[in-house]
Amino acid sequence: MLELRLVQGSLLKKVLESIKDLVNDANFDCSSTGFSLQAMDSSHVALVALLLRSEGFEHYRCDRNMSMGMNLGNMSKMLKCAGNDDIITIKGDDGSDTVTFMFESPTQDKIADFEMKLMDIDSEHLGIPEAEYHAIVRMPSAEFARICKDLASIGDTVVISVTKEGVKFSTRGDIGTANIVLRQNTTVDKPEDATVIEMNEPVSLTFALRYMNSFTKATPLSNTVTISLSSDLPVVVEYKIAEMGYVRFYLAPKIEEDEDETKPET
Amino acid sequence: MSQIETLGILEEIEVLVSDKLQVVSYKWLSRNFLVSSNAAKRLLQEFVKTRGSGVEVVYTLSGWLKNSPSSYHIRLVSGPKLEEAKQEFDGNCSVQVYSVQACIPKDPAALWNAEFVQAEDLFKQSFTVDNCLRDNRFCGILNSFVRHNVDGTTASNAAPQPKSVEIPVPLKSNSVCQNVPPSQQTKVQQSPKVGPQSPNLVKDVKSESNGAGVHDLAAKETADGEKFSLLAANKKIGQSDKTSSGNGGSLANLWGRASAKSKPSSAEADNNKHIPNPTVSAEAQISACEAIEDGSSGDEAQDVNFKRASNGDSSRKRRVVLDYSDDEYEDAVNLASPELPKGQSSKTLVLEKPQVNKQAEDKPVIEVEKSTKGASNQLLREDSSVGKSIDSNTSSLEKIQSNITSSDFKKDTAAGAAPNSPKRRKVLKTRIDERGREVTEVVWEGEETQTKKAETADSKKRAENNAVTNTANNRAPASKKSPATGNAGPSNPGSKAGNKKGGNKDPKQGNILSFFKRRASQDYCSFRIYSLSLQMKQIRKTLQKRISERKLNIIE
Repeated sequence: MLELRLVQGSLLKKVLESIKDLVNDANFDCSSTGFSLQAMDSSHVALVALLLRSEGFEHYRCDRNMSMGMNLGNMSKMLKCAGNDDIITIKGDDGSDTVTFMFESPTQDKIADFEMKLMDIDSEHLGIPEAEYHAIVRMPSAEFARICKDLASIGDTVVISVTKEGVKFSTRGDIGTANIVLRQNTTVDKPEDATVIEMNEPVSLTFALRYMNSFTKATPLSNTVTISLSSDLPVVVEYKIAEMGYVRFYLAPKIEEDEDETKPET
Repeated sequence: MSQIETLGILEEIEVLVSDKLQVVSYKWLSRNFLVSSNAAKRLLQEFVKTRGSGVEVVYTLSGWLKNSPSSYHIRLVSGPKLEEAKQEFDGNCSVQVYSVQACIPKDPAALWNAEFVQAEDLFKQSFTVDNCLRDNRFCGILNSFVRHNVDGTTASNAAPQPKSVEIPVPLKSNSVCQNVPPSQQTKVQQSPKVGPQSPNLVKDVKSESNGAGVHDLAAKETADGEKFSLLAANKKIGQSDKTSSGNGGSLANLWGRASAKSKPSSAEADNNKHIPNPTVSAEAQISACEAIEDGSSGDEAQDVNFKRASNGDSSRKRRVVLDYSDDEYEDAVNLASPELPKGQSSKTLVLEKPQVNKQAEDKPVIEVEKSTKGASNQLLREDSSVGKSIDSNTSSLEKIQSNITSSDFKKDTAAGAAPNSPKRRKVLKTRIDERGREVTEVVWEGEETQTKKAETADSKKRAENNAVTNTANNRAPASKKSPATGNAGPSNPGSKAGNKKGGNKDPKQGNILSFFKRRASQDYCSFRIYSLSLQMKQIRKTLQKRISERKLNIIE
């Protein structure tokens, strides 16, 4: 038996919007800790990890650990039927092959039930250990989305380099090149507008803008985004979900042609 | 303490409390993050201040009681009862945060559980390992004349030693704390006589290639008798390592690349320590050291090491002998090795001289190769007699994948590789060199060699993954595999981050699978274990309740 009641139903809608383009089908795992998802995109280049902690739900009941395979496109279709202020309840039964989404309007005068078929998904769970990153950039999420969008109109890939000076996003395309440098800026009125750069080592990595742009679909979830980079690890783009958890996107870097020569062999 | 570090710990506490539901007491915090207990208390205070509403807090009250025979009293009080408890104390009492947790446990012992387990772990560590409990470094009472004597060496020597080992510790989280000791432990097992050497050497041996090269030399000299010692050493390591990695948190095991810098250096420190010691035979030592390195990256690595030990028994089949008429550059190459330089756009897989150089330490490699050459040549001959079309040596990867006989395998490659793209194909060239040996080369013909190689790398990786789901990480086995063929693989460690390209269209795009290991089965297991442990907890609780009820009845 599973019953999750989320007062801020729009949150779930936003979460689905942010990941449904990247991943078609995924298993949602429910345990006493929370409601989580881990899935790779079809080309195995990017990975989404979502966590909604149980404390974030108004009511959270999960008797047994459950894994529910859902088509995210279909789930999103159903969630679109929920109003932005609606309370969403997710219900599931052991052994049942459906999941029920219940939408209650805030005034309780409208209640809608949507039942969706589950599917068997053979997903591979990957172990993602905690790691120390060479550089961590926290910046306004809208700013990041803007940069990715702008650069995508010029080139296909973005080189993100973090140095003492700041973080540089650069691209190169047929029509020319573009460089955007952000400096650390903590003297702002609102803390979410700050750009904070924590750097242990300078890092420069290349990524496909296509994926970055699909990550920025999560921008409505959070005012800030955290980008963690290490030269030998996938980048992590994390959007915190208010008091509840996070959506993390992992993206494998592109291999740079000249990287091998320049890098000393240690 | 710098601001950033503090923030990091606060976040960590948050995770521990809210996700892992652990009781975080100041003692635990102090030992885990190697901060003084006062600092730990302050951290908790800060944590409570910033996140006060979401967590339950247990305070330590200490002071004189108001009772008539006034006595000094220390009491643990939960947040809501704080004010009430304060009234019982005479005048001012000190209030400190003892622990934070998601909820106040019903059984007070649970408060103390985490730190007890931790203390036990710390005490269980080998005597040579210095930890915060042994040297009592956070104690308020210190005597500078008294020093903790590690390993029975003279005090002047021992004092700086533990520090050098533990330098990385404060930077990392608990996993590293648990990580450092095992290598030390194994050291003790291998050669108890070896005393700690000057820690300065650690920096000298940064490059892994050093160790590998030495090992290759050792392998060359390894006579039959010594093979056993090698094997034995490996086994020993395997056991000890398994126990140590049992507590799960080992970051390095999971995430080979991330820790590549910190971890091997400690292993190599050992390496160096052993070498100069004349009391133990050089081979045994070196192999032991190598085993430490390998062992640390998981079972797969050990497997490989076994293979190497029985030099040429199992690994021989995966060889292609590429003969350059010039003796100097003989080398054995594992075709499937993902270490192939990606810049190499030539249409053959024949290694060029610079590449051999790049793989460092040709000499030892060559010699190892020599020792096995006769055998592998024979094998080549056999194969070509079966049918000259395709050599089973060509790619070890399909072999791993399918575990089938070579003839089956031939069909595989013929059917599987060729249709993928008409433009490129594997061509086998067999010739007799001037020494009369039959040499078979695999040559890629066609234009898109690049992508093809990517695919081979990818499929090999997959094969490995399937074969050993437990491997510590994808990377390590790949690079450790090559030494099995006598190729100085480790000299070329994970420097090429995303060298394994995905099967996707863009050959330059890295694959996320090359970074994260699969753990489908494990995950399921852990899920099961988790739910079982929950049930156990429940049962224990009810039992305890019953017992206490009965006790009450008896008392009454």
